[in-house]
Amino acid sequence: MTTVIMRTTARVVVPLILVVAVSLFLQGHNLPGGGFIGGVLATTAFALVYISYGLDFPRVLGHDLEPVADVLDDPIVVLYRRAFLLGLVIAIGGGLVPLLFDLPFLSQTYVILHDVPIYGEVEIASAVVFDLGVFLVVVGGFLTVLSVVGAE
Amino acid sequence: MVSPVGPEVTVLAVCLPFAVAVLVPAVHRAVGERTGYVGAAVALACFGMLATQIGSEATVSIPWIPALEVSLRFHVDGWALLFALLASGIGALVFTYSVGYMYGEEGLVRYYAALLAFMGSILGVALSADLIALFLFWELTSVCSFLLIGHHTGEADSRYAARMAMIVTVGGGLFVLVGFLALFVASGSALGTETFSLVAMLEQPAAMRAALRDAGLFVPALFLLAVGAASKSAQIPLHFWLPNAMEAPTPVSAFLHSATMVKVGVYFIGRLRPLLESPEWMLLFATLGLATMAVTAILAVASTDIKELLAYSTASHLGLMVAAFGFTVPYGAEAGVFHLLNHALFKAPLFLIAGIIAHEAGTRRIDELGGLRRDLPVTALLTAVAALGMAGFPPFNGFYSKELLFEAAYEVAHTAGGLAWLYPVLAVFASVFTVLYSLRFLALFFGTRPDELGSIHHPPATLLVPPAVLVAVAAVVGIAPQFAVDSFVGWAVEPTALEAHEMHAGLPSSLTPPVAMSIITILAGLAAYPFYDRIRDGVRALTAAGPVRANWWYDAGLAGLESASARSIPAIQNGRLRTAVTWVLGATSALALAGYAATRVSLPAYDGLGVSLPTILVLVVAVSVALAVTRAPSHIAGVLTLSVLGVMIAVFYILASAPDLALTQLVVETLLLLVFLLVVEELPEFYGDLDSGRAVRDGLLSVGVGATVFLTVLLTTRSPPGGGDSIARYFAEQAVPEGGGTNIVNVILVDFRGFDTLGEITVVALAAIGVLALMSRRDRGDTA
Repeated sequence: MTTVIMRTTARVVVPLILVVAVSLFLQGHNLPGGGFIGGVLATTAFALVYISYGLDFPRVLGHDLEPVADVLDDPIVVLYRRAFLLGLVIAIGGGLVPLLFDLPFLSQTYVILHDVPIYGEVEIASAVVFDLGVFLVVVGGFLTVLSVVGAE
Repeated sequence: MVSPVGPEVTVLAVCLPFAVAVLVPAVHRAVGERTGYVGAAVALACFGMLATQIGSEATVSIPWIPALEVSLRFHVDGWALLFALLASGIGALVFTYSVGYMYGEEGLVRYYAALLAFMGSILGVALSADLIALFLFWELTSVCSFLLIGHHTGEADSRYAARMAMIVTVGGGLFVLVGFLALFVASGSALGTETFSLVAMLEQPAAMRAALRDAGLFVPALFLLAVGAASKSAQIPLHFWLPNAMEAPTPVSAFLHSATMVKVGVYFIGRLRPLLESPEWMLLFATLGLATMAVTAILAVASTDIKELLAYSTASHLGLMVAAFGFTVPYGAEAGVFHLLNHALFKAPLFLIAGIIAHEAGTRRIDELGGLRRDLPVTALLTAVAALGMAGFPPFNGFYSKELLFEAAYEVAHTAGGLAWLYPVLAVFASVFTVLYSLRFLALFFGTRPDELGSIHHPPATLLVPPAVLVAVAAVVGIAPQFAVDSFVGWAVEPTALEAHEMHAGLPSSLTPPVAMSIITILAGLAAYPFYDRIRDGVRALTAAGPVRANWWYDAGLAGLESASARSIPAIQNGRLRTAVTWVLGATSALALAGYAATRVSLPAYDGLGVSLPTILVLVVAVSVALAVTRAPSHIAGVLTLSVLGVMIAVFYILASAPDLALTQLVVETLLLLVFLLVVEELPEFYGDLDSGRAVRDGLLSVGVGATVFLTVLLTTRSPPGGGDSIARYFAEQAVPEGGGTNIVNVILVDFRGFDTLGEITVVALAAIGVLALMSRRDRGDTA
């Protein structure tokens, strides 16, 4: 799959996909989107890179990496692994915060900020923290599976 | 009498053993072998806390799963307190005894932790008044006993016995669970609301019985609960696990057999007695109990090992109690409750004495023991009091409760006549054997001392004091039975009794038929004792044949299961994904369809195709694409065609105004396509030749799976709980004010059902961790 067409397309498309993924994630509370969809879309972007360049794509971008024998020790895979663990920690940790205020586990709340420059009215929901956890778990988990199994 | 301490203390008494059980590793590191004293202190603390409740009757309720009406409900009354006090009191002695008996053994941390949790679960069973909590504690006792019986993990016998006890008692517990559900269903029409509260049910027993009968559930519920109680209390034909359980360390045997787990079933029968009392009740439990009493007493006579003798004797006495509770006359409850106490008071010391003998003499074989009185004079005295109590000789404690059983049996026979006369006959017949084996146990201390027996040391105080305490209490009950009745037993009988009755216990003053039965029992026992060896050999010859022994059935059943699964694995799991998927999908569909057939679901009426033209167009495209997939000439074409199907589903979601789902579907579809492309490279270029037989089978299977899914969707979406679209409307109305988001799907995911989402992402994380674990193991080369 590592044809020139594929690589060129990936270079153009991947940043676009990532931007869309982030915007989907952020708008999730009010419009279609959210942590899961954003996460899957971001995974797609990385998968595309992976398919076109293989696991050593950082080298293409100019980073100098020591080659490793075992796919599990690959810095990228380690990164994916950390991503989903971090996501779990964020989701559970965020869920524990309401306990400090004598509310049930995973209670959520929100505030609406008025008169913000450019945007006007901005709503900040605590659920976005939980959603970020979901996002990271989805990206990290799927990519770990994809890269480890794909390397076989 | 009102207790100065609130009933909440019972909750503490149940929780304390569990809390300390968790701390045992730390305690053991700090005090080493003396951990047993800590356990004894905990048991004593529980005993003290429970003792403050004597005379009071109260319920404490802690909400647990309020949506299902489940609470941790603890109820204190005489019957619960008698059982809980026995468990904690004997628990304290067993812990003390363990310090001496288990000295220097391995795995003491596990032993003491399991013993503490075991005691906690017994207290939980005794005090729970909520069926779900009761079931939980009930099964916990089984799990803890599994750990305790299998304490010597290196020995095959130990593992065999532990597994047997687990299979029988946990399996019985499942019957109890179904029985509880029947009670729960009946409580709906009897009490107005469906509840798991046993207290509420016991307040209106007549209404509960009527409701059960109306629903046709009375006999099934009675049967299910009886199977559970019988498995726990080792009634025939499920008695065989109890003698095997003697593989446990002796302190555990004393605890298991005398005070606690095996009596849980009896306790439970006593508890339900006022609720389910009926002619069926009497027929079932009186017959079951007396048959157990007779069969296991005969088996006890044939035993070769002192612990085996005591174990069979326990089963026999449990039969006595079950039969007593079975008789629906006032004497029945009195006999059951009083014998529960008496049996604990003589059987626990007897087990502890058996431990002393095994410890000091080095053997447990009956034939190798004799004349121990010269070496162990104090133990001999203790044994005499306990064994004569077990035999039911006056004026020892067992006599009074057995006399009450005779009175109950006689009264029932006298009223009913006919075949009911078998009850007193069977009771006397079984008691003769009780006298025989009790005397045999006592004879270990008398007669000639075999030469092979080496020097026997005097037991240390930690081994001798616990049985001495129990025997002293037994002696007090024996000398002053009416005192025991007035101070405690009478009060404990009340919750199990059907009507108020003045309870009396004492030496008989005139010759009544039950007294005559006692005299016959004792005389026949004494007369038969000289022929003990001949009787024993006869019983052994009779039970040598395979199918007569319950053990044989257990072994044969287990071996059959094992060989059946060994034979089926090559067919089901032959390493090919296709085979595994065929079996999983086929079995799932068959089970689901069978479930629909069994519950006789009715299909919703067909009211025309309520779909718009665009939807029809999308569905038509989807179906034709699905057909095209099967005709695809290469992998790439197949994957791409399949993606068209996925996109059509996304379009369908949009038409059904679910943009979120459509978006998810599109994104996931894209990702899947990428993954497929990754995999396709590795696959062979062409499909193999199609085997027509396999094609037909796969076709049938896919039609079956499709039909199952179709039916399931049809049935589950027909009548959502709450009727109509109330849930959808609730979420639509609450999304903005409660969650602050206008995207209902997302608000549900993160605000309303965040816990579900957390579970889902945990699954994703687990899948990733699983893949990592698999790969790292394989690289290390230990795939075997």
